[in-house]
Amino acid sequence: MAIVKAEKTPARAAPLSERSLIGWLHKNIFSSSFNTILSIVTLYVIYITVNEVWHWGFADAVWFADSRRQCFEISTDGACWAGVIGWMDSIFYGRYPRDELWRINLGGLLVVLWMVPLWLPRVKAKVFIGLSTVFLYPFLAGYLFSGGGKGVFMQVMVTLAIVCLMGNTLHSVISLIKGISLPEFLIRAFGKSTAPEKTQHYLLLGILFCSFVAVYYWQSSWQVEAVSWTKWGGLFLTLVVSGIGIASALPGGIILALGRRSNLPFIRVVSIGFIELFRSVPLITVLFMATTMFPLFMPEGFVLNKLVQVIIAVCLFNACYMAETVRAGLQAIPKGQFEGAHSIGLGYWQTMGAVIMPQALKHMIPNIVGSFIGLFKDTTLVSIIGLFDILGVLRAVGKDVTWLGLHIEPLVFGALLFFLICFAMSKYSRHLEVKFSTGLKNMTPNKRNKS
Amino acid sequence: MKIRKLHLSAAVISVAVLASATSASAQSTLDIVKERGHLRCQVGTPSAGFYNLNAKGEWYGLDVATCQAVAAAIFGDKNKLEIQSVSSQARFTALANGESDLLSRTATWTMSRDTELGLDFLPPNFYDGQGFTVRKDSGLTSALQLKGAKICVTTGTTNELNMTDYSRVNNLNISNVTFEDWNVRDDTYLKGGCDAVTGDKSSMAGNIASFPNPGEHMILPETISKEPLAAAVRHGDNKWTDLVRWSIFAMVNAEELGITSANVDEMKANSKNVSVRRLLGVEGNLHNGLGLTKDWAYNIIKQVGNYGENYEAYMGDGELGIGIPRKGTTNELWTNGGLMYSPPMR
Repeated sequence: MAIVKAEKTPARAAPLSERSLIGWLHKNIFSSSFNTILSIVTLYVIYITVNEVWHWGFADAVWFADSRRQCFEISTDGACWAGVIGWMDSIFYGRYPRDELWRINLGGLLVVLWMVPLWLPRVKAKVFIGLSTVFLYPFLAGYLFSGGGKGVFMQVMVTLAIVCLMGNTLHSVISLIKGISLPEFLIRAFGKSTAPEKTQHYLLLGILFCSFVAVYYWQSSWQVEAVSWTKWGGLFLTLVVSGIGIASALPGGIILALGRRSNLPFIRVVSIGFIELFRSVPLITVLFMATTMFPLFMPEGFVLNKLVQVIIAVCLFNACYMAETVRAGLQAIPKGQFEGAHSIGLGYWQTMGAVIMPQALKHMIPNIVGSFIGLFKDTTLVSIIGLFDILGVLRAVGKDVTWLGLHIEPLVFGALLFFLICFAMSKYSRHLEVKFSTGLKNMTPNKRNKS
Repeated sequence: MKIRKLHLSAAVISVAVLASATSASAQSTLDIVKERGHLRCQVGTPSAGFYNLNAKGEWYGLDVATCQAVAAAIFGDKNKLEIQSVSSQARFTALANGESDLLSRTATWTMSRDTELGLDFLPPNFYDGQGFTVRKDSGLTSALQLKGAKICVTTGTTNELNMTDYSRVNNLNISNVTFEDWNVRDDTYLKGGCDAVTGDKSSMAGNIASFPNPGEHMILPETISKEPLAAAVRHGDNKWTDLVRWSIFAMVNAEELGITSANVDEMKANSKNVSVRRLLGVEGNLHNGLGLTKDWAYNIIKQVGNYGENYEAYMGDGELGIGIPRKGTTNELWTNGGLMYSPPMR
């Protein structure tokens, strides 16, 4: 006596408690009396906070005023954003002459232009582009920012940088359109694609030389006004210090880490001493040493630019931290990788460059970016030794008689800026991790083969 | 081997020290400054009234005016000046190692600083002192009435110690409420967390000006500490010290003589007063001893103004001033009962 149905019972909808809002609330917010109380209290706290922030930051805030007094006349409860808006140029550029701001903007634009090819999938020779960013861009940007007369060395470096930038950009455009590299394109354009290799090389060198000479003449015809480093400031200065720190920390860290693992006792001891010395001292102490003690040891009249001293200190300090990160990555590489590399006849540098480092660096991405974010935030310490980085400027707002006492609003704005930049950096690191498929994806070899 | 190396490095160091010693005596600060083309003047991180930045990134303030005066005396142009902002920890080192030519940054002139740090202090341009801020409706008129009061103070400063001493001497039984940051200290006072705030009078005047209702607060008349704020130069180059000292005196002297930036041209052309004519370089050779041009003091007064003008502009009721009244204080001219006094310029 069994009831047999010919067709399948139609699926019923999920119970109301699973799909409706009330069901969700019941399950997640009000599941027991204790949880209900907790939820209500939490909601109330959130409400109070958001409400206060909303009123202070937006509803009662003053956006346009000429002084803090005027802000008070309009509203005494809200934020006085007018001061932050009035100081915007200083917050971003410090005391840089207002007529010359285009130079900073141009410098920023150039670095983007330089690095865009690194993110384009079809462009080759990324190592070269990356290296030229690290080694040539600083000269071009350095001249743009500081200006003045160019010495012969600076002329050559600026020329090289411009030639390189033009080459990079042309190369990526041609790669995107035609799928070939710039040298190939040039050789084809001159109809020498079948010529012997030697002729092709001479041709390329000739083109390089001609463009070098042309650019050299062009760049010697213009000059920008000198701007003393004492006028650098704001977010610009923070980015310069942390940018140089970031660009040099990784190479420095790799060298120090390799030194620490080296079999040569002298190199090992020096590396260990260097790393441990800098790691056991706070950054602020290193900065003070660099700016106040260092000049005392130098002969009188030898005044090294304070900014340079600070940058060197930041670079050394962060290279030491990076060295330990890199060493951790190196230790995670199994011995078999070294042995395998040796067994196919690779030397030390080849083993490191082609086998070990590419694997180790992938594992280190989260830590490296973590250090970079830390470095970026640490650079605000330079405001203590009297450089007007972004924190120094934000603090100066409340001392300006026009905006006297305005100390919370600039700091809130600074916090927002820092959040934006650091969050973008950490998002980018996640993106890199996924791209290099480390992390969890590493566990499934199939997927790795597909990509 | 090691020992020999040590000897060698010691020799190198001693040679370097010798070389630096000789090079220092060879060139005077004035020559160095002239050769460089601008004066390097050290101030601190912005402090209302004395040295502030405006939104355009320009410095202004009473101590900045001193820097400008020296630049104007040397170059005839107050803008041939590089202002360096140095933290208070590094201020004396930066002067000692030649990074700055002049330190003009609310440094209190004390004996130990003058005698032990290799500094020469110049005539004070502001006599500050610690005081108390209270609400007007509290009915207090003297600090001696602060019996058992709760007073907000920033920690780690001489303010805290001075107040404890004052409380003990006068049996006031004051209780301290200490803060790391003066912004928080003032916010607490405004919200009623303490009966009074103590701090340097100049900075408190600035802070009161930034309160939502400045009219409801006042500074009590008592001053419980001495803070003569003065510029300083490196010890050893007396010519340079003279130059800076008399640039500062020139501003005070100009006020005594009634010369302002507005009437200086007229005074120079028409004044019969011998003192005025000597100061402005019409008569006599006051400039010779300083190694400057005849119109050094004229340039200071024309471009920077006399002491009183600068006080009004930055410390007083000027547009950029922080509103500390000058009348009846130590910062008044000696003729009005204050301490601002210039030796005769003749």
